[in-house]
Amino acid sequence: MRSRILTAGAGASAAALAAAIVLAVPAQAAEGDAHLSVLHGVPGLTVDVWVNGARTLDDFTPGTLAGPLALPPGAYDLAITASDAADASAPVIGPVTVTLAANGNYTAVANLDAAGKPTANFFTNDVSRIDAGKGKLTVRHTAAAPAVDVLAGGTAVVTNLANPNEQTLTLDPGTISAAVAATGTTAPVIGPADVTVAEGTHTIVYAWGSLADKNLQLAVQTIEGLHSAPGSVPGALDGSSGGVPTGQMVLGGGLAAATLLLIVVGLGKVRTSAARKP
Amino acid sequence: MTPSKPSRSRRMAALAAMAVLVLTACGTATPSTAGSAFNEASGPNPSGQQTQPSLPPAEPSRPPAEFPLKGTTPTQPMAAPPPVSLQVAGTSIDMAVIPVGVAPGGAMEIPETFYQAGWYRFGSAPGATEGTAVLAGHIDTTSDQAPFSQLKSLPAGTLITVGREGAPALNYRVVSVTLMAKDAFDGDALFRRTGPHELKVVTCGGRWLDERMDYSDNVIVTAVLE
Repeated sequence: MRSRILTAGAGASAAALAAAIVLAVPAQAAEGDAHLSVLHGVPGLTVDVWVNGARTLDDFTPGTLAGPLALPPGAYDLAITASDAADASAPVIGPVTVTLAANGNYTAVANLDAAGKPTANFFTNDVSRIDAGKGKLTVRHTAAAPAVDVLAGGTAVVTNLANPNEQTLTLDPGTISAAVAATGTTAPVIGPADVTVAEGTHTIVYAWGSLADKNLQLAVQTIEGLHSAPGSVPGALDGSSGGVPTGQMVLGGGLAAATLLLIVVGLGKVRTSAARKP
Repeated sequence: MTPSKPSRSRRMAALAAMAVLVLTACGTATPSTAGSAFNEASGPNPSGQQTQPSLPPAEPSRPPAEFPLKGTTPTQPMAAPPPVSLQVAGTSIDMAVIPVGVAPGGAMEIPETFYQAGWYRFGSAPGATEGTAVLAGHIDTTSDQAPFSQLKSLPAGTLITVGREGAPALNYRVVSVTLMAKDAFDGDALFRRTGPHELKVVTCGGRWLDERMDYSDNVIVTAVLE
């Protein structure tokens, strides 16, 4: 099995290396480029990351996020090896082939599966624009742990999230006291930790590590610049100052004001007549 | 008004009408009718604009095919000093500035009184290295009391001073006063977060449109740091 991979890997490597050199030429991100980030979420393992057979990340340590790297859309082979590997022929994770779409935004994560075995997950990041005044929070379970709930200020906002799934919330911006607990419980296995959800930013939180090894933790990735502008600047406040002719205010205020005016006038009449009665 | 009604009723009516106007007739871009001021989603709500994902601003230039590395432990962003006051030389504009956000319909929030200006707190702050700092306030149709009614006639070079909390005040100079039709409201330009830093002081102007309960335009004063 190993020799088969070696053979295939050696053949692919040469061609892939050439491709990597070609793609290495444009230093500027081009129109339509995809963006790829890589997160290392395997505790206690320093690795090298290979893209199309070229060593792209050297001595990549756990809890580190690399990227985003602008890449022309297309298929890429990702492999993760021990940090002293001479080539990508004996990966500890992968190789996996990922397809990057034009303008796509992705995070490849080296992490533990629910049972604690090193694996890789490839997530597509939502980079659509966020409504003005809001922020987006995605939680990804990439830890060797059972399904979890995510608590914000003690209240479950994400429930029964299992490795390797994700869940996204659109929130008012602010800082959340976030904790992760086994699903259905509130005793934190991670945190609480303050996580800031900024306006116009997609904040992606990864739970990674291993429950059994007691090294569960959070990793945070942010994608900024997704904000929208307010839809208008309503600077008119007509008729709010004193001494304005009532007639003009009714014109300005429309139906609501006119209706209320009639009601008040009517009340006034009733009161007036009531007062006259005795 | 004919003088046939008792004057007390008239005053009450005027007060009531004012109360309603304060609550509802703040000139949202969509004409708002009785009682539904901010309940409806407004037309230019940006949720429909999901065509082109906008990418993070300007990646630092790095050796090609090499990933920039980042830590991933949760961090708290540093907040810029917020603006607290606005003065415009040669006018009666000398008011407090409060941070504001977005109203439920998607419009920028504006302080209730026209003796205060709102600063769009999600955008750049005055003194930022890039993007526009947007301050906005109400204008009043019929009264000279609204300080922002003087914005439309500011000459170029007028001094605008923005006081900040815990930081020195900033002096800006007016470079232009423009009208932007509300029909063609370009929020991405007004509220841009990249590019050269400018101060934008915004209110309403142009013609009053009865059928819309709103002005035709926004008055936008653009100023740059001295």
